Amino acid sequence: MATSLWKSSPTRMRVVTYIVLVVAAIWVLVPFLWAVVNSFKDVLETYTSGAFIPFVSFTPTLASWQEVLSDPSVPLALQNSTVISLCTTAMVLILGTPAAYALARYQFPIQSRDIAMWFLSQRVMPPAVVLVPFFILMVNLRLIDTQIGLILVYTTFNIAFGVLIMRDIFRDLPREIEEAARVDGANDLQIFFRIALPLSVDGLITTAVIVFAFSWNEALFAATLASQQAITLPFNILASRSTRGVDFNTAAVNTLIAIVPPVVLSFFVQRYLARGLSFGAVKG
Amino acid sequence: MAAVSADEGRRAIELSQEIQVARPRRYAGFVPYLLLLPAVVWVIAFTIYPLIAAIRYSFVNYVLGQGVVEFVGLANYADVIHNADFWHSVLITAIYSGIAVPLELVIGFGLAWFVSLNPPGHRLFRLLLTAPLFTMDVAIGYLGVTLYSPQGGLIDSLGHAIGLNIPWMSTAAGGLAGAILLDVWLWTSFIFLIACAGLAGISDEIYEAALLDTSSQWRIVRDIALPLIWPVLSIGFLLRLVESFKTFGLPYALTSGGPGTSTQLFTTMTYLTTLQFFDFGHGAAMGIIFLLLVSVVLTILVRQMRRALD
Repeated sequence: MATSLWKSSPTRMRVVTYIVLVVAAIWVLVPFLWAVVNSFKDVLETYTSGAFIPFVSFTPTLASWQEVLSDPSVPLALQNSTVISLCTTAMVLILGTPAAYALARYQFPIQSRDIAMWFLSQRVMPPAVVLVPFFILMVNLRLIDTQIGLILVYTTFNIAFGVLIMRDIFRDLPREIEEAARVDGANDLQIFFRIALPLSVDGLITTAVIVFAFSWNEALFAATLASQQAITLPFNILASRSTRGVDFNTAAVNTLIAIVPPVVLSFFVQRYLARGLSFGAVKG
Repeated sequence: MAAVSADEGRRAIELSQEIQVARPRRYAGFVPYLLLLPAVVWVIAFTIYPLIAAIRYSFVNYVLGQGVVEFVGLANYADVIHNADFWHSVLITAIYSGIAVPLELVIGFGLAWFVSLNPPGHRLFRLLLTAPLFTMDVAIGYLGVTLYSPQGGLIDSLGHAIGLNIPWMSTAAGGLAGAILLDVWLWTSFIFLIACAGLAGISDEIYEAALLDTSSQWRIVRDIALPLIWPVLSIGFLLRLVESFKTFGLPYALTSGGPGTSTQLFTTMTYLTTLQFFDFGHGAAMGIIFLLLVSVVLTILVRQMRRALD
């Protein structure tokens, strides 16, 4: 915390700090605002350049939203994205959390750190390397173009998050509480479920949001393994870009539908984000 | 009295040391394996198998509907190595990552520094500057088409307003620059977040001591903050670099690889080979060769992470 630096800063330095931060905030916000403004225009008004202020320079309309949502592929993609991301999150937590606890608390013939690294190595491998095998595997399992197929793939690529971030958070729990429960007669499983898990809810929620967002945003496997039934939002965007081209207003609506849910979720889990996204290597 | 309490103290220390030593050795039976194995088995089933399968497919001619038709030895590898499009995509990936990631590192660290000064409102700035990390790259690329459009796109219009006529979507360099600019918009937030976490770990007393020597904030950043968070920042940098080698959604949604093949990154190339031409043998060989090419970076990353995880 560099609070003392701020207190000792001359006014000139403080002004520079705010200018930098405000410029950065505007830079981050502009695409969001551009999308919001365009989503309330109709097609003709999107060609009026300089019309940025609703009610003043153009009349806002919900026509573009209605147009996008009346295309049956959009509600389907929204539904698939939601189901697939939620199921992936559940799977990752169910499989990853116990493994994380085991790595944090017990000794194995192989060092816990090496097992953790092995999980990480699954995540750093470029997914394009295994694109072909996954495609053939899903064809053979008759899971091509199904929600289950994508859930299997996303669970595989996100387990590393669950294991590494939760391992780190369990290691930070004071052992004394668990030892006390053991003295009171609790067994290992009871300690995990009744003591360690409830004390780690913050970490679990952060992990859940990260996994949800990564599944929600994933495009490569979505484009590879889905075709009609299991289409997700990224698939739908890529498909409508190539078949219908890009209208400013409908592109804006599609963008907003796609980016708002994970961004809003992220606002609630600021605490362990750095830790989660660096696989526990950076204490946040 | 004093002698007794000293004795008690010693015994307490001995006892606690005994417990310390005894803890890891405590017998927990099958429970640790019950907790660990489901995840391990899952990952082995769904990653080791595909990786082995990828190596196998890279040596065969695979026809969709018929399966493996013939064993072709190293022919797929030879084809890929002599394929100029493949090397072009590797080059484009290198240029893309080589420009975007350092920019993200510098901007992300800079912004993290200013936020970490804790000026009033720093929480709001932190929240805003983290938000792009959660946006869908495909959607941002798609929105980018409208931002760069010569028919009233925001960035294009702003460029004209200040006298810059950048042909964003019509030239090779413009398309690549446009994709990199949006990549920086999205991923700077990652370095920002990591750097914020690193800077939060430096205690205020260190800065107070430094302020006795110098009042130059630049010197404090260069001589104190940067060296102290370098281990953290380098992990962030390597993770980001590895992640950027996988880039697909943003440039693909923005330009579909064009204009020409100027934004044909490695992942886009493999995707097209595999899924549009159903050329599985060559697609698999491309994947393996690329994995070998990036394994240098992967090895450095893994070594750094291994140190940080313990």
